[in-house]
Amino acid sequence: MADSVRLDIITPERLFYRGEIELVIARTLAGDEGFMAHHTWACKLLDTGELWIQEAGSKDFRIAAISGGYIDVKESIVIFTDAAEWPEEIDVERAKAAGEKATEWLKTQAQADADTTDILKARIDLHKSTNRMNVAGGGIRKKR
Amino acid sequence: MAGSSMQDIKRRVKSVTNIEHITNAMKLVSASKLRKAKSTFEKTGEYFHFVTESIEEIVNNSADIPIKYLEGNREIKTTCYIVVTSNRGLCGSFNSNVIRQAEAEIKADPERPEIVAVGSKGRDYFLKRGHEICSEYMLPPENISFIETYGVSAPVLKDYVDGKIDEVVLIYTSFVSTMEQRVRTVRLLPFTPKRDLDVAPMEKQVEYEPSTEEVFNYLVPKYVEIMIYTAIVESATCEHAARRMAMESATDNANNMIADLTLFYNRARQAAITSEITEIVSGADALK
Repeated sequence: MADSVRLDIITPERLFYRGEIELVIARTLAGDEGFMAHHTWACKLLDTGELWIQEAGSKDFRIAAISGGYIDVKESIVIFTDAAEWPEEIDVERAKAAGEKATEWLKTQAQADADTTDILKARIDLHKSTNRMNVAGGGIRKKR
Repeated sequence: MAGSSMQDIKRRVKSVTNIEHITNAMKLVSASKLRKAKSTFEKTGEYFHFVTESIEEIVNNSADIPIKYLEGNREIKTTCYIVVTSNRGLCGSFNSNVIRQAEAEIKADPERPEIVAVGSKGRDYFLKRGHEICSEYMLPPENISFIETYGVSAPVLKDYVDGKIDEVVLIYTSFVSTMEQRVRTVRLLPFTPKRDLDVAPMEKQVEYEPSTEEVFNYLVPKYVEIMIYTAIVESATCEHAARRMAMESATDNANNMIADLTLFYNRARQAAITSEITEIVSGADALK
């Protein structure tokens, strides 16, 4: 068994998760990255994506959907994100509706000289919705 | 003579009793809302220090941080005041305390201020006095989510980056205990980090990705967003605490008043009886 490290996942509204973990895989801006105990000290920005947590002494991963934030790796790991959800907390219908709305908007409005930030916002909404649905469906990545 | 006064007193007792019922009910409602708001507030405040710590770490440990969010990067001309009040009244001096403090700050400011009003009480006050409100938010603060507070923070941050405003000041009520709330004024931007020269730099190099600058540029607006969110949540907690106190004293006063009025009523009734007896007795005496 690998060494374990403490992980805190914090959202502005609550403490989402706290526990001893062996491995956490998060999507940084540069791509998926795994963090284990004794990782170099780091502070990285995270993208909207899946978060895979392997708890100490467990073979399975728990997954969660997070939307942006940053990871602070020191003696312990702290992840700060705007919103985090476990698969069972995700409202699939709502995510689907939000995704459809964003797609529709992009199709109809994007050609018109819309504000670039608005297009970006719609893309982010779409991304978040896809991510939520992926997580609710057990994650896009297959377990090793 | 005594009859009409007795009627009046009776009527007053009745209306005061009605008011007492209402204030008592409001007190109970506020007490339960306070309990709920307090639990949300306690959860939000607890983990906030992580973000501030991360910012201070960057400031203390790296040289190449972008200056735009830091103190002293430009002359402070226009100040944006975010005034957090409530949407409803009947909460004692809660709103007037915040407004008084805000008014004092604004008077002391030689430049024309920009006001962002959270809660309708503050908005109405400043509108009536001819101030310009650059944005306002009337959402009920009880179960506001972090995402919803973007509506408050995003335009402020944008104006700051664009150079329309040079300073962001947050005025809200902070929660000391259920009995005591204090108005606090916090300057959000430019950010003033605690530069601790005694603390030795960290023994290990920290890897920042994509770059120190970008991490810093992400963290500072996040700090502002979180501060605004916590202020709204905290202020909602204070509002309920203040209302509960106000309603409690109103109920107490009503009860005292009912007791006094009942005493007057009994006295008036006794006086009426006594005078009637005197009349009868004197009437009987006259017949002798």
